Amino acid sequence: MKARNIVVVAAILIYAVFAGCGKKEPPISDSEVKAVFEKTLPSTVEDRTWERVPLHPAKLLLQDMVEPRLMQGSTSFVRVQAVTDGQKIAFRLTWNDSTLDDVPGPGRFADAVALQMPASTTADVPAPQMGETGRAVEITYWSAIFQAVVNGRKDDIQAIYPRSAVDHYPFEAPSLKPGSAAQQEMAKRYAPARSLGNQMAGPRTVPVQDLLAEGPGTIRPAEKTLSSGSGKYSRDGWSVLLVRPLPNGAQPGGRTQVAFAVWEGSHQEVGSRKMRTAWVPLSLGSSR
Amino acid sequence: MARVYNWQIGREMSYWYPERHPKRQFAAVFDTNKCIACQTCTLACKTTWTSGKGQEYMLWNNVETKPYGFYPLGWDLNLLEKLGAQNWDGERYSGRTIFEAAQPGERVLGWRPDEIDYANPNVGEDDCAGGVEKGAHFSGVHDSWFFYLARICNHCTYPACLSSCPRGAIYKRPEDGIVLIDQGRCRGYQECIKACPYKKTFYNAMTGTSEKCIACFPKIEMGMQPQCFVNCIGKIRCAGWISKPENAKRDNPIDFLVHVKKVALPLFPQFGLEPNVYYIPPVNVPRDFLLQMFGPNIDAALETYRNAPRDKDLSGLLTLFGSTEQIVSKWSRVGEQVMGYDDSGREIIRVPLTEPTHIRQAFDAARGVARTNIS
Repeated sequence: MKARNIVVVAAILIYAVFAGCGKKEPPISDSEVKAVFEKTLPSTVEDRTWERVPLHPAKLLLQDMVEPRLMQGSTSFVRVQAVTDGQKIAFRLTWNDSTLDDVPGPGRFADAVALQMPASTTADVPAPQMGETGRAVEITYWSAIFQAVVNGRKDDIQAIYPRSAVDHYPFEAPSLKPGSAAQQEMAKRYAPARSLGNQMAGPRTVPVQDLLAEGPGTIRPAEKTLSSGSGKYSRDGWSVLLVRPLPNGAQPGGRTQVAFAVWEGSHQEVGSRKMRTAWVPLSLGSSR
Repeated sequence: MARVYNWQIGREMSYWYPERHPKRQFAAVFDTNKCIACQTCTLACKTTWTSGKGQEYMLWNNVETKPYGFYPLGWDLNLLEKLGAQNWDGERYSGRTIFEAAQPGERVLGWRPDEIDYANPNVGEDDCAGGVEKGAHFSGVHDSWFFYLARICNHCTYPACLSSCPRGAIYKRPEDGIVLIDQGRCRGYQECIKACPYKKTFYNAMTGTSEKCIACFPKIEMGMQPQCFVNCIGKIRCAGWISKPENAKRDNPIDFLVHVKKVALPLFPQFGLEPNVYYIPPVNVPRDFLLQMFGPNIDAALETYRNAPRDKDLSGLLTLFGSTEQIVSKWSRVGEQVMGYDDSGREIIRVPLTEPTHIRQAFDAARGVARTNIS
């Protein structure tokens, strides 16, 4: 029996070693993000496709151009990989983060990431700091708070403060049938941002927002969020998949630019207090 | 940064945006001497505006006991310490405002409360300054003191919340100077929470936006005073409109108290926001404490207030506090009668300077019974 146990343990160890070796490190692309053409886009951050997609380590800089600025650096690199199917482009963004910040509250901020592309693909690009007046940029923004809600965290104060007690909400009065139109209408009245359709207020089905900007402080929601995404946290940090349509004028085989921003929640990074890149060249692979 | 004039500090100062004034400015006077900290104002506000999810901890209106009460914890002390020396040269402030003391990369000198700082809204309640020795009892003049400070958003002329918002999601209404956060535009960066020295903006974790006192603007638009004013048991509050000092009118209640009598003073004018809630300071509090809190005109204000029983105009106007739900835009006194008028000049309230007193005998001889309070 003892010998048999030893054989089993040895087999597990050998499998583990080979399984580890089987995980290929992707090639490095220092100068640009190379979007590889694939007929089917990867649907998760764990998809094996990513093993052969070149990885661009994008250096992050302090946002120290406009107030309020970030004066102390935090995340130094975001690792970028991209795949396109000719219609859409998928990015896998990974970065180191030793703290998980996905709970909202006073003085609490989310881990987050965003990618930015020029709204129209032309020879010259707008300023990388959120575009310029009349020359918009498109932004896909993912937040760990959004992800937690999409993953199933209840839209309730008890989900954040488990020991909290609330006597009564007027929109949950016994006279109002739960879920009825009248009840929902009243609940909206007690959440002004939601009743005004502010995307920040939910309800949320995807952990991303599509935004437009024409300079710092001008972010506004796109007509519709077409992007999707998902993020996973591990001890190493975040791995986030963002999938968005190719921007206007971008063609397989062509080139455009992309920029990134990362917010470290535990460092109280939010809004313009962020680590960001300049424009990074992006080449789009084609089927040919 | 632009240069703007702030009359409360007697000089120009730096501000993020150029000077611009609303058509008229919402303002208020609170008489601290009449407040009993019953928190009826707090509840009036709470039940009207902040019963929603994510608003549980919010107190757009609160009443705290000074010197040891705070909501959130240490809201004033933290900033006073950061700001350093705050010297006055007569009525001219020679120190730095929070805009002038902003650190590199910031628009305003501020600090961010921790979540836990909101956990004890009644901290320090009824605690008096200094120790109370064993066996102490009231025997005339004593050194122990505290007072109640009722607080709402000050709807400042130069709001720090507004100047700090990188999205321009906070605005001052041109028609009445009320400061609001656009709930459609806010993205919950919480810069306003860091910047507001009075800590009167609050983050709503359920909507992902920040919210604040709206001065009950739907009521203001109907010529009525906000909920916390009309529900005040102590009748300590008066809402109205304030003019610039050079345009002050005697028949405007707020102008009369702030500019003419100078009996009502701004809260921490040295911060530089030109707050528009004015306080009649408490009479039994050490001068240095009041000097720091209400500025250099404290002595004159206290003397004027102490003289109120002999000043029929001042005591007359104070009787109008809490006497009507409507906004008293103008007032006058004729003999022993004090009148309040609305915007159109229509009389809306008339109050005698001295309420008639009727003394009931303790024993009802007709019925042969002793009277109680309910008989």
